[in-house]
Amino acid sequence: MSYSFDFSGLSQGYDELLDGLRITVELTIAANLIGVTFGFIVALLVMSKLKVVRIPAMLFVEFFRCTPAIIQIIWFFYCVPILFDVYLESITMGILALGLNLTAFNAEAYRAAIQSVPKEQHDAGIALGLSPLQRVLYVVLPHAVRSSVPVLITNGIGIFQQTALVAIVAIQDLMYQGKALATTTYRPIETFTLIAVIYFAISFPIAQLVQAIERRREVASR
Amino acid sequence: MLRAAAFARHLRSKEVVTTMNKIMSNKTATQEFATAGSQYKTAAAGVSGQPLVRISNLHKSYSPTVQVLKGLNLDMAAGERLVVIGPSGGGKSTLLRVMMGLEEVNSGSVNFAGQEYICADESKQKTKINLDVRKQIGMVFQHYTLFPHLTILQNLTLAPRKVRGESNASAEERGMALLTRFGLGAKANAYPNQLSGGQKQRVAIARALMLDPKLMLFDEVTSALDPELVAEVEQVIMQLAEQGMPMMIVTHDMWFAKNIASRVVFCAGGVVVEEGTPDEIFNAPKHERTREFLNRVFHI
Repeated sequence: MSYSFDFSGLSQGYDELLDGLRITVELTIAANLIGVTFGFIVALLVMSKLKVVRIPAMLFVEFFRCTPAIIQIIWFFYCVPILFDVYLESITMGILALGLNLTAFNAEAYRAAIQSVPKEQHDAGIALGLSPLQRVLYVVLPHAVRSSVPVLITNGIGIFQQTALVAIVAIQDLMYQGKALATTTYRPIETFTLIAVIYFAISFPIAQLVQAIERRREVASR
Repeated sequence: MLRAAAFARHLRSKEVVTTMNKIMSNKTATQEFATAGSQYKTAAAGVSGQPLVRISNLHKSYSPTVQVLKGLNLDMAAGERLVVIGPSGGGKSTLLRVMMGLEEVNSGSVNFAGQEYICADESKQKTKINLDVRKQIGMVFQHYTLFPHLTILQNLTLAPRKVRGESNASAEERGMALLTRFGLGAKANAYPNQLSGGQKQRVAIARALMLDPKLMLFDEVTSALDPELVAEVEQVIMQLAEQGMPMMIVTHDMWFAKNIASRVVFCAGGVVVEEGTPDEIFNAPKHERTREFLNRVFHI
């Protein structure tokens, strides 16, 4: 390998990269706020006994789960304005696209967690005279929310990386700024390496946190 | 192996008998039991002359081919400790679950203290349950079923607070008293996963008692326990028995059945095959099926 790395030229772009990182983090946080709250609501709709509620909710989940995120983003940017006559700021569109994508995945996480509450727990609730609503509030949900936390965080890290996709629709996130810097410095290898390191440095500790939570739960369930 | 098992049983019997003697010789405790006992008896006294529980012609099938209860009839008098034994799939656990309103029935009914509270509505294919009556019955399951996200004390106070609207302070006071009596006072703020199986099961019993049941159902409560933990749970049930708590117990532990039962019911094929005193059932079973079952259980 004869390529010699030279990171010195990148220093001129640090401010832009920091701005980009700020946008990326904002996108991630906003998308997660949408995903964590609406994901829960969609999960409840998916488990509804009413077909009119259940089927649209299922279609929503499957659309976002079964198409590439990059197409969803492009679709939001180019098709939504034309089809629905809705013109929003590009960052808002980015948040919506990523947020709804995460909503679909989190809905599945919540659904799996709620359905994994053992039947015995329901029986115990009935035997203690708790009403159906009380059983949901005091037995099923606390149980389910706890067991869904690791998956929610994993999905959240996933969306943090997916934010890089919005660079293609000119949102000035970390990836966008990196591409710009690579062009001005003629140092694409160094630039994208640096950017990868930044994404990694943020994702890795959070991924470790998930593992720690899961380990603790494993010990606890013994 | 057989001898070892018999010896273990013998040891265990000594252990529990010693505890029971201790309980009986302790005056305050005995007095407390007497009061508590009379309390339970008063509860049942309003229905003198009729059985505490009357189970009539229960039919239950999970599918057209799997019929679990085939017209089961059973009466239980106030103050009785009924132990239900029998082969797996014979309908023992299903019977308790029906009594607790956890299973639908195809036909038949259950009365408690003279009131019909479970009744199959055959035209609608639904089971009608009178919750006010059913709330007088407590149940403990094989797999503890404590709520893992709540502390031990919170497990005890949840239902009294939410179902009865009892104040937090009052529920916690009663809960602590109960835990202390069961030797679990130090565990009040622990979570279920920090407890042994035996401790969890004792907490489950305490949790059911928090609702002041007039009848306790025990569904194979020691089956999931390590052998060395069985005694501590059985002792707690023995204590309750001493206090006059009416109970219906499903168990595979024949030693326990023999020692706690006032009457033993042998249940197989979805009906009651034979019933009698522990002595009658274990020493002189009349039916071939009972004999066959006991032979298999005791490896004779």
